[in-house]
Parts: sequence; C-alpha cells; structure tokens
Amino acid sequence: MKMEEKPLSGPDNTRLEALIQDIYSELVEDACLGLCFEVHRAVKQGYFFLDETDQDSIKEFEIVDQPGVDIFGQVFNQWKNKECECPNCKRLIAASRFAPHLEKCLGMGRNSSRIANRRLASNNNISKSESDQEDNDDLNDNDWSYGAEKKAKKRKSDKNQNSPRRSKSLKHKNGELGTSISLDPYKQYNYNAGISFESLGPNEVRSLLTTQCGVISEHTKKMCTRSHRCPQHTDDQRRAIRLRLLGPSVRPTLPDADVEGDSFDVPDGQALLSCLQWEDSPDISPTDSASSKASTNHSDSRRPKKKKSALSMNSGGGGVNLTGVIGSSAQSNISLSTKKKKPKTAAPSVSSIYDELN
Amino acid sequence: MNKESRLKARVNQKLTETGERDRLKELLRAKLTECGWEDQMKAQCKEVIKEKGLEHVTVEDIVLEVTPKGRALVPDSVKKELLQRIRAFLTQHVS
Repeated sequence: MKMEEKPLSGPDNTRLEALIQDIYSELVEDACLGLCFEVHRAVKQGYFFLDETDQDSIKEFEIVDQPGVDIFGQVFNQWKNKECECPNCKRLIAASRFAPHLEKCLGMGRNSSRIANRRLASNNNISKSESDQEDNDDLNDNDWSYGAEKKAKKRKSDKNQNSPRRSKSLKHKNGELGTSISLDPYKQYNYNAGISFESLGPNEVRSLLTTQCGVISEHTKKMCTRSHRCPQHTDDQRRAIRLRLLGPSVRPTLPDADVEGDSFDVPDGQALLSCLQWEDSPDISPTDSASSKASTNHSDSRRPKKKKSALSMNSGGGGVNLTGVIGSSAQSNISLSTKKKKPKTAAPSVSSIYDELN
Repeated sequence: MNKESRLKARVNQKLTETGERDRLKELLRAKLTECGWEDQMKAQCKEVIKEKGLEHVTVEDIVLEVTPKGRALVPDSVKKELLQRIRAFLTQHVS
C-alpha cells in the first residue's frame, strides 16, 4: 500500500506513532466494552455473584493444617481397623478386605466367576470323601483343590446358603443342604459326602459304582464318592463292594460271554480291574482283546451301532474307559475325550464290566 | 487532515482485511486475562453494581465507570507488546 510514498521520517513518524496509539486504544476499549457487556449480562441473568460464598461457609471449608490430619480435617487411617458386616453372608470383614470379599461373595466382579468355575471343576474331579475323613478335610482341601486359595475355614455356622465357601461345609453332611444348592443334580450328587446304598436301587447302585469308588466306610456305612483312583481305598475294596452289591442283582448278559458263562467273567473282571492301573490295556483276555484293541485305537471306528454288539464292544472298551473315567468321576466330558463316539454308553459299559466280576 | 483520516481509514481497512485486527484483539484479551486485569475489572464492576444497586444497573453505567479505570490498569508490558505489533504491521504494510 503506498500512501504518499514518503519514507517514514520525522513528522510521519509522529503521525505513525499517533496512529499506532489510536489503534491501540481502540483495541483496549474494545476489550473493556466486551467485559462490561459480559458483566452486565451476568448481573441481569443473575449469575454474576454465584461464585461468592458467605463467611460461614468459607470458615467451614478452610484448609486445615494440623498434624495427623489431612487438609479437610479427616484422620488418615481412621477406618483401617474397622470391620464391616457383609450384607450377603453376614460375616464381619476387615474394611480393607471388604471390597474383594464382596466381589466373591456376591459373585460379581472379574475374578469371582473364574474362581467359582475352578472350584467346581476341582470338586468334580475329586469327589467328596465320606465323613470319616472329616479330620483330614482341611488337609485334603489344600492338597486337592485350589491350592492358591488357602482360606481358613472359620465359623461354618455363620455361613449363608449362598456363600461361595459353603460347599466345603457340605462335605460331611449327608446331603442335608444339598437340595438347597442351586446346582444341577449331577453336581449336587457329588457334593454328598456319602450315599447310603440301601436306599438306592440296583440300577442306581450300578451307575454309581461305575463312576465312583463306592467303597463303603465302616464308620458311616456310606459309599465313598471319590473317583476310582481315590487313595483311601484299594482296588480290592472296590471289587469287594461291587461283588457285594451287584452280585445278587441280575446282570446283563453279554453275547460274547454267553457261552463261557461264569468261568469267563472272573478272569475278565480281574483283568479289567487291572486296567484300572494302566492307561492302555492291550493284554486283556482273548474275547475282549479284539474289541479292546478296537477301542484302544480311538480313531478306529469299529464301533458297531447296534446295542448288542455295542455291549461286547464296550466290555473291552470299558476297560479303557475306566482309565479315562478315573480321571474324573465319569463326566461325559472325559469319556468324550477318551472315547470320541458314544459317550453315553460309557456308564453302562463300565457297569457291565463289574457285572462280569460276579 | 483529510490525508490522515484517509490514511487511518486505509490502515484500518488493511488491519481488518488481513485479519490482524482480530488477532490483535485475541492477543490483547489473552494477555489481560493472564495478568489479572480482568479480575481487577470485575471487582470494579462489582463495586459499581453494589453502588448502583443490582436491579437497576445499566450497561452505560458500568461502561462509563469502568472503562477509564480499565485503560489505566493495563500493565505496561502488555501495552508495549501491543504497540510493537501494531507498529510492525504498519511498517510492513504501509511502506
């Protein structure tokens, strides 16, 4: 822009300066005016004096500068040693542990479902012992189940129905509280420490014996609900029990063993029982060897679909199944893993083995 | 005089066109808030309001009372900087 094209010198300089000053004062006035408008609007709208408080409030919220106390005047760890009553299980929990306890107690929060699932899984793996093992229960718990959570068992009577630790206290009660658990019947079954066999029919006994140790304790006259590998009882005991319980009942006849009859069954049973120890059972008695081989080769699909031959099939296959079953108390999952087809036949097949024992 | 007013008009026009005026305004506002001028001004306004009464205060009242004080309260550093910028702009665009 060329204004008169004069270099900036003396008079122009002053003129320029004057101009600059003008512009400056214009800007400042603009700012002032803007502020005035803002204030006026605030006054008329009523929010101008909002940030002011009365003297009393100011005194009340003054910054506190005393030792042992924060700026609000609160003591630092005042609630540290207090105990709170859990609304769920009615226990008194230390304040600092209250939140994690609530998480688990109410079944909410990230870890609670994980822990619960783990607990249930380990409970299913290891069936509950009978009540004569009451004393060892604590030890057993630490050994068998979640070693990470070594919670001391305290105040069993104080526990609520839905407390997550309730399951432990049920071990040696003969299913008194079993019905109140909101679990499916199978798991409920497992929670019963012992089952009085007198009340069960032969079929139930058979199915029980296929999945559980079943040895009857002298103390309580109840069947052991642990797995076939339960350390408290020997195989001899298990066999004896099965002889005792299933002997008088009618056992399904196997097509293969039909002709041979009893003579065949005993060695069969013994051989099959020996399967309890080993994973693979290649050396079973002749009639079963073929079928057992077929079943040991899981990939082989020599699984006839008829029931009759299924039984003979399964008599040998059951031997292998046992080993799979030992791992857990005959959950269909496990039998599925060892024997990919026909998991349902696992249970009756195993029972048929024990029938042969007689 | 005519030239001056013409000059002034030209300068203003230039300021607005290039957007320098707005920039200068923003800069000034920011600087004044930063240095606490705005809070001082608000205190002044409060006094005026209390004087005149909350219900009946008008814009003119506030402006008339407060503006001269505002002009005077601008810190020197801010003033100098602003003048500097204006001068720079003018020398850049005028010659």
